[in-house]
Amino acid sequence: MHRVVVTGLGPVSGIGIGVNEFTAGLRSGRSAAAPITSFDASGFPHHWAGEVPAFRPEALLRRLRVADWGRSALFAAAAARLAAMDAGLSLPATDPARVGAVVGTTSGESTVVEQLTAELVAGGYPTMSAEALRQAPAERLSYAVSAELGLAGESVTLTTACSASNYAIGYAYDLLCWGEADVMVAGGADSVCRWAHAGFYRLGALTEHACRPFDRDRSGILTGEGGAALVLETLEHARDRGARIYAEVLGYGVNCDAHHMVAPNEESVAACMRLAQENAGVKPEDIDYISTHGTGTPANDLCEARAIRAVFGDRVPPVSSIKSMLGHTMGAASGFGAIATTLGIRHGFLPPTINWATPDPQLSWIDPVPNTARPATVRVAQNNGLAFGGNNAITIFGAIR
Amino acid sequence: MTGLVTGWGVLSAAGESVSELLAAVRAGAVVGVDVRDRFDEPLPTAQAPAIADFDVRRLLGRKGTSFLDRATALAMVACGRALADGGLTPDDDNRHRIGVVLGTTTGSLKSTMDFSRETLVQDKPYLVNPVLFPNTVMNCASGQAAIRYGLRGVNATVAGGPLAFLYALRYALNALRRGYVDALLVGGVEEYTPNTAWAAELTGAGPAGEAAAVYLLRRPTPGLTEAPRAQVLSVATGFQPEPSVDGLAGCVRRALATAKVRPADVWAIASGDLDADSLSEVVPVAAQRWSVRPALGDCQSVTGALALGVLLGRYAEDPDARGRPALIVGRSRDGAVAAAVVRG
Amino acid sequence: MSDRDQHMAELREIVAEVLELEPEEVADTADFVEEYEADSLRAIEILARIEKKYKVEIPQAELNEMRSLKAVHEVVARHAGWQD
Repeated sequence: MHRVVVTGLGPVSGIGIGVNEFTAGLRSGRSAAAPITSFDASGFPHHWAGEVPAFRPEALLRRLRVADWGRSALFAAAAARLAAMDAGLSLPATDPARVGAVVGTTSGESTVVEQLTAELVAGGYPTMSAEALRQAPAERLSYAVSAELGLAGESVTLTTACSASNYAIGYAYDLLCWGEADVMVAGGADSVCRWAHAGFYRLGALTEHACRPFDRDRSGILTGEGGAALVLETLEHARDRGARIYAEVLGYGVNCDAHHMVAPNEESVAACMRLAQENAGVKPEDIDYISTHGTGTPANDLCEARAIRAVFGDRVPPVSSIKSMLGHTMGAASGFGAIATTLGIRHGFLPPTINWATPDPQLSWIDPVPNTARPATVRVAQNNGLAFGGNNAITIFGAIR
Repeated sequence: MTGLVTGWGVLSAAGESVSELLAAVRAGAVVGVDVRDRFDEPLPTAQAPAIADFDVRRLLGRKGTSFLDRATALAMVACGRALADGGLTPDDDNRHRIGVVLGTTTGSLKSTMDFSRETLVQDKPYLVNPVLFPNTVMNCASGQAAIRYGLRGVNATVAGGPLAFLYALRYALNALRRGYVDALLVGGVEEYTPNTAWAAELTGAGPAGEAAAVYLLRRPTPGLTEAPRAQVLSVATGFQPEPSVDGLAGCVRRALATAKVRPADVWAIASGDLDADSLSEVVPVAAQRWSVRPALGDCQSVTGALALGVLLGRYAEDPDARGRPALIVGRSRDGAVAAAVVRG
Repeated sequence: MSDRDQHMAELREIVAEVLELEPEEVADTADFVEEYEADSLRAIEILARIEKKYKVEIPQAELNEMRSLKAVHEVVARHAGWQD
């Protein structure tokens, strides 16, 4: 069994593109929330989201032709390019078949599908664009990463909704552990789209301007977007090439609520935390920080906080939700959580939960690291991902020993 | 890393068994079902290789089924049949050790586009039906199958279009090898809708097909008494977009090496489309070549699962085939390749 | 048929369709969640169909009250100005 480490980070987010900007964004509690520009949101009572208006794929990508790919694939590939550069990977690799990509997503090429829908509404099915139809399959997110970086190893997209990045990191971790690859680029990507905005609004789960997880008056999510990528490699491979090591991937756990497509399940979320901790060989008292799923809906945060208490008892570590800054970036969310966790371990700080004003008496055991990043020694940290379909996935990272 | 196939649930235009599937693929002619009355919208063809007479209420009951999309319902039925065929009954002792891994292309394109269309055509863009919102996520089928059968173990959806089943199989083998679960329902599903029919027509991939094929894969453990129908020995994948590189042959070699199977011993290859001499640089020309697509159309993420069904049909009908290794292979338009080695 | 009976019949039909029941199975005072496994998605859709049919706007906060057919009728009557 190989040990697995994080050597490169590639965030393409509304609070910063590239690891330096993103770190500064986390430390200063920057917010990506702004009026929506990627579609006409004028008919919606709530029309803010966490978009990435500064995203210029052509400025980041070296090999892909931007016109050939949908927005989510471009997010994934750009994030991967940034992560590879941050890791100092020399590409193409000596043995490209030993380097692969795993990308998680909720809605895949949602903006491409919405383009097809607009064509269908305007002129009927036969007027749908063949090029858009070719860009629509979700598998193209990981193919974009592999094509951009010239990787010949496994290239797979996991569509397990809003915990998908953690699924991706976990699967990549297993392949590396087992010696099936030397390096894996893992993460997730999604794009802000009209249908998700409408769906969450209709569920009463969309807030107006500010996502405030764990606050008594929290009122929902902001939809968000972006690409998150981590370069994972075996410890030997990283040491052999003299790579900087951010943190170690200690393990992960996945399970399924098998209860409800939308509502989270406290018992099952707690069970997933225990699976992850057991897989990582850590105990609750070892964990110094939890990057929560923390969507900012009343139901999610209550359920997640209760599950945390069930697992951690009286020793609940500080927790925060970076969705307060980024919005809910869907399939990329737990990827950004993993990046934030990794940075917290490396640089010794806890990312804040911004927009937090009022304690929730129902969550008395939660310290949400309110509004301001906090210096802290983080030896082991847990990164929660929950999802529609009851697809829970939790990753655990540790300082390199 | 291996897994034992102990049960199957297969629904296709050819029928609801692997023997009917094999017969249709052997005949080779497209299995045409009249689809003219299925939708209000026009379709590119009057006939298509779609599943006939699928009555979700009869199969799954009234409760909880009227808002399911067809892909989800098909997957749920196929999962139930695979569990029953494999003699595995989920209960409170084992349900956290049983999971689902399904392949997909875009989830239900119809569910997503219908939901998206409502935001354009309603008086207000948010007047969407919230009950249909879960159908827009690509893990809907695996999540609903888990709910229906109470399966709390690893639950994943793997996108890969024509390679999705092979990716799902590899994902599943990893979860079994790592000991995360003892049993997984592994398969793929694609529904026939105006959306898929026109997508296949307009991209020259037509005709669109419709199928759901799910297999119960068990971890080889000493206590396991069910006789396996086949063993999955290995899956290899890769990404080789350059046409000059024969990525699939290399991928097949790797899969065979991992499975410790000599190329000369391969008895059959199954895929979406194969010629008589496909992969002849690796596998003997004498090995049988089976193509599911001429009979069943473009079944995307079910293609590999149907190919496995054909092989299971052959193992069942031909005693001489038993114990001989076979391949399931695939290549995507973008240059991804995958190969699985099985033995019946 | 009185206005009230007419409205109750229409509401019963909406509720039955969303909860996947036959109209005659929906009792006037049965709790949607306890008796018919309703969830928040279905509750919102019931509300939405009522809003569409009667061209009224009902705040989502009223959902907490709308737990049975009788309660639904009371809420809708209040917002639609029915004199049932």
